[in-house]
Formats: sequence, structure tokens, C-alpha cells
Amino acid sequence: MDFDAIVVGSGITGGWAAKELTEAGLKVLMIERGREIRHQQDYATEMKMPWDMPFRGHGDSDLYDREYAVQRLNRHFTEFTQPNFVNDAQNPYQTGEDTRFTWFRSYQLGGRSLTWGRQCYRWSDYDFGANARDGHGTDWPIRYVDIAPWYDKVESFIGVSGAKEGLKQLPDGQFQPPMGLNVVETHVRAEIAKRWPERCLTVGRTANMTEGKPEEGRAPCQYRSLCARGCSYGAYFSTQSSTLPAAMKTGNLTVITDAVVEALEYDPATKRVTGVRYIDAKKQRQTVRARIVFLNAGAFNSVHILLNSAPGGLANSSGTLGTHIMDHANTLSAAALMPGFETRTSFGNRPTGVVIPRYRNMDQMDGVGHTRGFSFQGGALQSTWTQGNRMEGFGAEYKDKLRHPGPWRMVLVGFADCVPRASNRLTLDRTKVDANGLPQLKIDFAFGKEEHAALAQAKAEAAEMLTAAGGKVIMGFDQPGPGGTAIHEMGGARMGHDPKTSVLNQWSQSHDIANLFVTDGAQMASSACQNPSLTYMALTARAAHAAVGMLREGRI
Amino acid sequence: MPKIQSPMARREFMAGMALLMTVAPSLVQAKIAPSPYQTLLREVAQLVIPRSTTPGAGEVGVGAFVLLALAHGLEGTKGFDHAAWLKSTLGPGFLAQPLPKRRAALAALDARAFAGDAAAKPWLAIKRLILLGYYTSETGGSKELRYEHVPGRWDPDLPLKPTDRAFSSDWSAVDFG
Repeated sequence: MDFDAIVVGSGITGGWAAKELTEAGLKVLMIERGREIRHQQDYATEMKMPWDMPFRGHGDSDLYDREYAVQRLNRHFTEFTQPNFVNDAQNPYQTGEDTRFTWFRSYQLGGRSLTWGRQCYRWSDYDFGANARDGHGTDWPIRYVDIAPWYDKVESFIGVSGAKEGLKQLPDGQFQPPMGLNVVETHVRAEIAKRWPERCLTVGRTANMTEGKPEEGRAPCQYRSLCARGCSYGAYFSTQSSTLPAAMKTGNLTVITDAVVEALEYDPATKRVTGVRYIDAKKQRQTVRARIVFLNAGAFNSVHILLNSAPGGLANSSGTLGTHIMDHANTLSAAALMPGFETRTSFGNRPTGVVIPRYRNMDQMDGVGHTRGFSFQGGALQSTWTQGNRMEGFGAEYKDKLRHPGPWRMVLVGFADCVPRASNRLTLDRTKVDANGLPQLKIDFAFGKEEHAALAQAKAEAAEMLTAAGGKVIMGFDQPGPGGTAIHEMGGARMGHDPKTSVLNQWSQSHDIANLFVTDGAQMASSACQNPSLTYMALTARAAHAAVGMLREGRI
Repeated sequence: MPKIQSPMARREFMAGMALLMTVAPSLVQAKIAPSPYQTLLREVAQLVIPRSTTPGAGEVGVGAFVLLALAHGLEGTKGFDHAAWLKSTLGPGFLAQPLPKRRAALAALDARAFAGDAAAKPWLAIKRLILLGYYTSETGGSKELRYEHVPGRWDPDLPLKPTDRAFSSDWSAVDFG
């Protein structure tokens, strides 16, 4: 059977591509490499308590060492969520000699939309203009005005709660009412604003809804903050809760799971892709055909498919395919004790923290040793029983102390913009294959002096802000975690004006192959310092609209 | 027609998951059942978290949990026999001693570990596992502390009385507190 469009991947962007293309009337095939997970019915651990689990939610450490050595480092990886992450032993990848890169992956229907951090931030022209301004990478062919209506559309549909702050560097959007700041965060916000009016602490803008969408079967957040197990309330955006039901409703969507795409089929005579070749659950190769293909396999896997589709890579006349990959440089900039609030507390688990958006290198270049931005995410919390790990003593008094909430503390985690560099790149290691016989991805990646300088400044200023708010800083770091730590790996098929130096044009469309679109993180030409998923979704919806127009006009 | 082609039969998958959930703990329990350290770990857990208005750690099976956790390397305990070390460190007569002496022996070990004595360091992991075992048990997590699986609301600022109990289901606090 032939389709109008094939969407490779079912995660955050694959779901959006499927929704937009099916709603435009196209017959769409979505191909997912992992297993099926049905909304509500298959969230197996959602209602489990710690005492229901063999290892109380912490999992079998020996097993994780052997088979989940990378994934276990993910903050959302627990005994409850382990089925939503890949088995590293079965899904190996290679890194260059000097590279440390933790590649966090979720191979299942819904992909990482089930396990993501849900933070939703618009990019501004400080971000889309960054490459043109300081000369790193190549200029984005779009600006904020091009994407703004698509941000509106995506935010309205997925449901984003947040506070409007009127910031140029973090434009306001279509928000549901914000979740409140706790007493310490409210205080810190006010103290920072007093001393540094250009710095704004606000609640994290998150794809957790404060108002339901009953017409779509989605309820507001129940404040469990167990999101990565799957949410039967449909209160956070995932493919399952949001885009997949919309796409299914059209009657135009077919989904195949357990199907690993090996390569795109390409016809050199017409310079078009004709379909995709995949390996099914019985290890048989299958080919399906379509008029257009959307790659949404996740940044690195979309690049893998293109590299594996032709010698030297498909859609790679520029020679830049796989290059200029990025991830935010990320570390705990400061943690502080926050005395003075011992008689206040909160109830419920807010599934988002706070954010202090970028304030450096905007209208003045005032970064020390770097030309871009850094921002903070974090929050204030009151200790519970785990404070006992640090407390000498035991017995009746000790037990009684742990019975009550402990001191307030606040953490600020820095995220620094990552400069695009040609040396940070993906290649295929054809000497090493995976279980399907496909060459393994090889990652070469290192942060440079710009990221280190930004995190050094972030550490100093995080401490300064928390101290000014009455906190006692107890630790802080300025060295980034390994690449991949922020789980914002992106780039490798960058968007650009010039076919000689970029893979995609302003419509996320291959310069070389008119009916091929890559609309996940691979398309990114710079990284900004805020979470990228909202931008991927907006660019996907924008590209789908463009693709449908081109199809109707007979141009592709 | 819209459809989802999923080769793994749904029923099989769910049955498999159900089996995994029920079989895994009993297999694990069976493997560590003959440990010669059961009594010691039960007693030490009970000393750390004794009975108050709620049962103590030893009474709710934390000794056995610690042995399970040690057998699977939780809290960085892989590659070193913590239970054997604890037995030899507390001495062969530990369990036969009267309560004040047992308490004093453990207090001395705890103080050394928190003072940075490398020879006492394995105690820190054992203590962490006792806390983990207790506060993630139904008694520790939901009777001694409070547990709300579905809070249903977010109240950002409420008064706190000195008698109010902490939540074991405050996941940010558990992770970062």
C-alpha cells in the first residue's frame, strides 16, 4: 500500500507531523521502532507505590550497571520508568576517544514525549540571530516572526501553563494559568528583581495543564509529578495524550510499531525519496512508498538514517550532514540553605520548577569569555527523610527529626548555550553493528571554552543571587556534565540559507531532495540556552503546512 | 481505517508484565533468604529507626531489604561484603550484649563514619539503605510520614506546624532534599 506521507518516529515531533499531515487530508504512515504503548491502558507502574516494587523504586543496581549503564544516569530513570528507556546493552553506540556522551533514548510509541521534562520556552531573535551575530555556525534562515504563529498553535493545542512576564529574551505565549511559586521562590524572585531588575525568576513554563481539555479527554494536572511513568489523566503533553488521538480521529493514520527504519529509498533520476526500508519485528526487510517523507526519529537517529541511506550520506551535497551537533552545557550552579521560612510549607508535587531566563549578552555583550546566553532552572524545596543520609545519629530523636519537614533549600541548575562546531559530529562506525546489523552511530563531542566560561559565570552569579536573597550557599559547580546530560542533543542536519553549507532550508526541507523533511532536533543551527522541544514542535507544524502546500501545488 | 499494527499481542505483553511484577520479588527474596546476617541487620535497622508511635525498621522487614539491596549493589555497595564487614566491625558478641551496649557500639561506629574515618565508611551506605528501606515501606512511608499518591492540587504556601509530618511522596525533596 502506498501513502501520501511517511513519518519516521512517533515522539514529540513525529506525533505533530502525523497530526498536521493527516488533518490536512493526507494518508499517513507512522513508523515507530519500539513497542506499542497505549494511553492509559499500558502505563503499568503509574499507580504503584514504592513498597509495591521489588527495589522500592530504585531498581536492581547490578542489572542497571550491566544493561542500562547510560540510561540509569537520567534523572527520570527509576524502577517505575525503566520500561520507558532503552536497554543500553541492546542498543550500543560508539564515542570518540576523548568523548563522554550520555545518549538518553526511549524507543517506544510516543518516544521521549513520555519521559521528557515538559519545559516549553519560546526562542527569541537573540537565539535565531545568534549565529549571524557572533559568526559561529551558519545563519538561521528564519526569525521569530516566522515561527511565532506556530508557537501559538502548538502551545494552545498541547496545553502549556506559565506566567506572562513580557521578556524580550523569552517571549510570552498562549499560556494556561501558572502554577504558583512557593514561599521561598516568591521571596527570591522579589529579592533578585530589587537588585537586578533585568533578571526575572518565574515559574517553569510546562506542558502540564492547569485547565483540562475535556473535549480531548484530558484532565488538569493532579500534582503527582510522576509524569515519566505515563499519565492516564492526559495532563501532560505526550504523543499518546494529545497528537496521536487527533491524528487517529482523522481516519488517515496508520501506525506500525516494532519497525526499525534502515534507510530511505532514493531515486537519483528524479532526485526524490520514494519511501523507506525498515526491518520488522521478524527481522524481515520491508519497503513502503510515499510521496513525501518526514524524518522525526530524534536528532541523532534521523541523521543515522540519512548517513546510512547512501554512500557519504543522503541529502548531503553540502558535506555538513552529521556535523555541528550540540547539547546544552549543564551543571548544578548553586545549592543553598534558605533559612527564615520554617513555618511555611506547600502541598502537592508541582511538576515544574522555576526558571531564570538568560540576561547576559542581550543588547550589551556582557558575558565573560562567551558571546551567548545561560539560564537557570531549579526551585526551592523542603527536605524530607533523605536528609537523614547526611545526619549523624540514630534512634528515637533521629526518627522524630525525620518525621517533620527539614530546612528549605534552593537549587539553580545552569544551562549554557552550546556553540555549533564542525568537530562535534556524528558518523557511522561500519565496523560495529547493532542487533539489526545496522552500523552503530559514533559520537564525537566536546564542549569548548565558550561553554566553560558561561558556566563559570553562571556559578558565580547563581551564588550571588541566592546569597542576596538570604541563602547560605553550600555547593556549586562550573564544569559541565558529559555531552547529552541536558537531553537536548540537536543538530546534524542544520537549517540554513545556503545549500553548500546546510542540509535543510527554511521549511525544514532538504536542499537536495524536495520531498524530504527533517523536523526534529537535527534541523537546529544553534542551541539557544532554553529547552528546545517547543521549537521543534512549532517548526514541525510549520514544515507540515508548507509541505502540504507544495504537494497541492504539484511542486513536490 | 485507522489502525495500529503491533506484532506483540497485547494480551501476551500484559501477561508478561504481570508475571514479571509478581515473580521478580519472590525470586530475589529466594536468592538471599539463607543470609547469615538476617538477625544482625534486623537488629541494627531497629536501633537506627526504633519503635515510637509507629513500628521500627527492624519490625517492618528493613533488615531483609538491606540484604537484598546489598546483594544487588544499591547505593554503590557493589564489590564489598558490607554485611560481613558490619558483623566483624561490631564484633561477634554484639547481638548478645544488652541494649545500652549495642547502642553505644553503633553510636561509636556512626560517629567515626561521620567524622570521616575511612575504616568506618561502609556504615554510611548501610545507614542509607536502612533509611531507604524504612521510608519506602508502607509503614515508614505512609504511617510514620505522609504519602499522597494523587495530591490533586498544588497549594504553594501553607502554614507549617511543628507537629506536621513530612511527605515521603514529595519526590523533589526525596531526590534533592
